[in-house]
Amino acid sequence: MQTKVLTVDDSNVMRALLRSALTEKGFEVAQAVDGVDALEWLDANDVDVVITDINMPRMDGFGLIEKLRAHDRHRDRPILVLSTESSDEKKARARAAGATGWIVKPFDAEKLATAVRRVSH
Amino acid sequence: MFHQPILKGDARRITVMQGQARASNEAGLSLTTVLGSCIACCLFDPLAGVGGMNHFLLAEPPQGRGAGELDENYGAYLMEVLINQMLGLGASKGRMKAHLYGGANMHRAMLKIGTINGQFAQSFLERERIPVVHADLGGSVARRVEFLPALGKARCRSVAAEVVAPEPVQRAPRATGDVELF
Repeated sequence: MQTKVLTVDDSNVMRALLRSALTEKGFEVAQAVDGVDALEWLDANDVDVVITDINMPRMDGFGLIEKLRAHDRHRDRPILVLSTESSDEKKARARAAGATGWIVKPFDAEKLATAVRRVSH
Repeated sequence: MFHQPILKGDARRITVMQGQARASNEAGLSLTTVLGSCIACCLFDPLAGVGGMNHFLLAEPPQGRGAGELDENYGAYLMEVLINQMLGLGASKGRMKAHLYGGANMHRAMLKIGTINGQFAQSFLERERIPVVHADLGGSVARRVEFLPALGKARCRSVAAEVVAPEPVQRAPRATGDVELF
């Protein structure tokens, strides 16, 4: 069965790049434009892995992770942060919020796919 | 090519090198760069008084991709770095306006890298719904760009090709995409 990934990013271009890269690697891809959109989508749908950006309008990546971890349904769901930032402070904040891992943009499609496979099993 | 007055004299100048992005709201600060095939995108939020400049050249295509295609991932990354820096200074993406410079095809025998880079930048801004208020792209001459981020004013002028370092040597590295699992 295909691993299903939800990508959360407010950039149209980044969403297109992620869809193309993940689809090419054999994943089923759903997409949301920010944290609020992702939460609404996850209310009615299920995924194996969430990949989220940090800087987004309405609800950022940190807020999304905290909201998801507060629900039993999403407590153990793998959540990868995909960000242009790589400071220890931001990584520590994501880890404290409950993120599973951190991937630095610009992403490498092969490494991204490997990380998704690893956390989804 | 002059379309806006620019600060003179005691302005503090910062050079934005290839692969860099810099945003500021500092009055009197001038961001400068010299471009051949590379693109400099200058973004400005007039309400916040925040602006910035990046300077990029798309990377070689990922393995398996066709000749003549360049890796948009790196360009998208540097655009996002600039936007994020500006957001951190109080700018809003919905208010941003863009100036685009560069994208010259400096060497006849080479792939039209400048054209492809310019097309990427224009496409990126269109897809992100950021209006381009001024563009000076293409041709075969190098450009020097000066941008006042707090005012959103830009100046672009032609310079001798010798001023620009040979760009193929400087081509952006492929994405590293480092992964850290907690």
